[in-house]
Amino acid sequence: MSTRFSNKLGRIDNINTNQHADDTSTSGDSLLNEVSMLQLGDSFFPTGMYTTSSGLETLFYDGKIKSKQDIIEFITVCLLYQIGPADCAALSNAYNFAKEENISKIVEIDNILFSMKLIKEIREASTRSGRQLLNCVLSFVPENTLISSYYNLIKNKTANGIYPVALALASNGLHIKKERACLILLYGFTVSITGAALRLGILQHIEGQQVIHELKPIMTTVIHNNLNRHFSHLWQFSPSIDLVQMKHERMDSKMFIT
Amino acid sequence: MTFKRIPRVGIGGPVGSGKTMLIEQFVPLLSQIGYRSAIISNDVVSKEDADRMRRNLASERGLMPESLVIGLATGGCPHTAVREDPSMNLSVVEDIESAHNKELDLIIIESGGDNITTTFSPALADYFIYIIDVAGGDKYPRKRGLGIETCDLLIINKIDLAPHVGADLKIMERDAKLIRKDKPFVFVNCKTGEGIKEVADNIVKDVLFDLPPKINKKLNN
Repeated sequence: MSTRFSNKLGRIDNINTNQHADDTSTSGDSLLNEVSMLQLGDSFFPTGMYTTSSGLETLFYDGKIKSKQDIIEFITVCLLYQIGPADCAALSNAYNFAKEENISKIVEIDNILFSMKLIKEIREASTRSGRQLLNCVLSFVPENTLISSYYNLIKNKTANGIYPVALALASNGLHIKKERACLILLYGFTVSITGAALRLGILQHIEGQQVIHELKPIMTTVIHNNLNRHFSHLWQFSPSIDLVQMKHERMDSKMFIT
Repeated sequence: MTFKRIPRVGIGGPVGSGKTMLIEQFVPLLSQIGYRSAIISNDVVSKEDADRMRRNLASERGLMPESLVIGLATGGCPHTAVREDPSMNLSVVEDIESAHNKELDLIIIESGGDNITTTFSPALADYFIYIIDVAGGDKYPRKRGLGIETCDLLIINKIDLAPHVGADLKIMERDAKLIRKDKPFVFVNCKTGEGIKEVADNIVKDVLFDLPPKINKKLNN
C-alpha cells in the first residue's frame, strides 16, 4: 500500500506503509513493528492510565509510603504478585489464542482475569482502558476482524474488554511480538504508578526515571516467569495491597480513580 | 449493538469560577421544558462537586436519577482528562449512552478546575462552554488563552462582584467581542440566576437544535 503526501516543503512520494514489506530488522523485528510497540507503550497513548495509582494514593495519605525505595518495593510487589502471574500471563494466553483467531478462548481468558480482579475500582479501570485501547487501535487498523469482533462482544456486554486481553489483541494486530506486548503491559503499569508518585509529591522527576531503571530487571524476570503460564494457572496473591485498594474505593477525597 | 450519540456539552474554567453552580442553574431550566440530562463531574481531588449536584438536582429536586450524576477522578490532570486523553470520560459517556439513549437528551461534562488553556477534545464534547469570573480582574478576556478564545460560549460569572473588585464590565465586554469576534458570550450571576436563561437558550439552539425532548413529559422541578 502506498500513500502520497505533499506539504509546503515539497512532495514526498510513495511512502510505503505496508508493515510486511519493510524488512529493515533488528533481531528479526521490523522497525515498523518496533514503532508500533513504542506507540502502544507510550504514556501519550490514550488509555487513561494516568488516572490510576493502584492504591498508592491511600498508602501515601496513610504515611506508609514516603521514599523512592518505598515506591520501588510497592511496584515490585504489584508486578511479582498481581500483574505478573495474572495480567501478564493472561495477556500471553490471549495473544496465543489471537494467533489462532480463537475468539471464544479469548473471551474465556477475559472472563477469568475479570473475575480475578477483586476490587471494583481496579476491575472497572482495567475494562475502561481496554475498551478505549481497542477503539483507538481500530481507528487505524479497521481491517482487523479479530479486534472488531472482540470489540463488538464488549459493546454487546458478552465480553469485558479487560486491558491485558485488549492489549494482546492490539499487539497481535500490529505485529508486535508477544514478549514485547508483555513488556508494554509491565512498563505501562510501572510508569503509571511512578507518574502517580510524582504527582503526589513522593518523587521528583529524576527519581522517577531512577525508579523505572531499577525496575527493569523485575519486568524482564516477571515476563520470563509468566510468559508460558497456562491460563488454568493464573494467580495473584497480595492481600495487603487488596485491602489498601479496597480502602481507596472508600476515600472521600482523592486524585486517582484507583 | 449500536447506540446513537447523545449531544454533549463540556464545561471548563478555573477553580472557583462557578462551573458547578452554572450546571445547577441551567439544568432546572432545561428540565422545565422537558430535556433530560446526565452529568459527569471531573473532580480534581474530591467528589464534592458531584455529591453536591447529586443532592441538589437528583435527590432533592428529582430532575435526574442519582446514578446519572457521576464523579470521576482525573489523576491530578484535569485538562488531560478532557483533551489529550479523554479515555475515562469517553468510557463513562459510552456507558450512559448504551443504557439511557432512549430518554436522555444531553450529557454535561464538567472539567476539573484548570487554567485558561483548557479545551475539550471534539471526540468528547460537541459544544464547549468556558466560564470565568470578574474577580480575576477585567483583564481576563484580553489575556486570551485557548479556553476563552475557542469555546463556543464564553460565560463571565459573578458580575455582582465587579464594583467590589474594581472590574469594569464594559472593558470585559469590549475585549470579549474583540477576542471572540462573532462568537457569543454571556454575563451571568450564578447566585441569582441572572443571565442563565440565555445560557439555556444557547444550549437548546446550538446543541439540541431546537428539537423536542425525547420523552415529552415534564420533570419535577
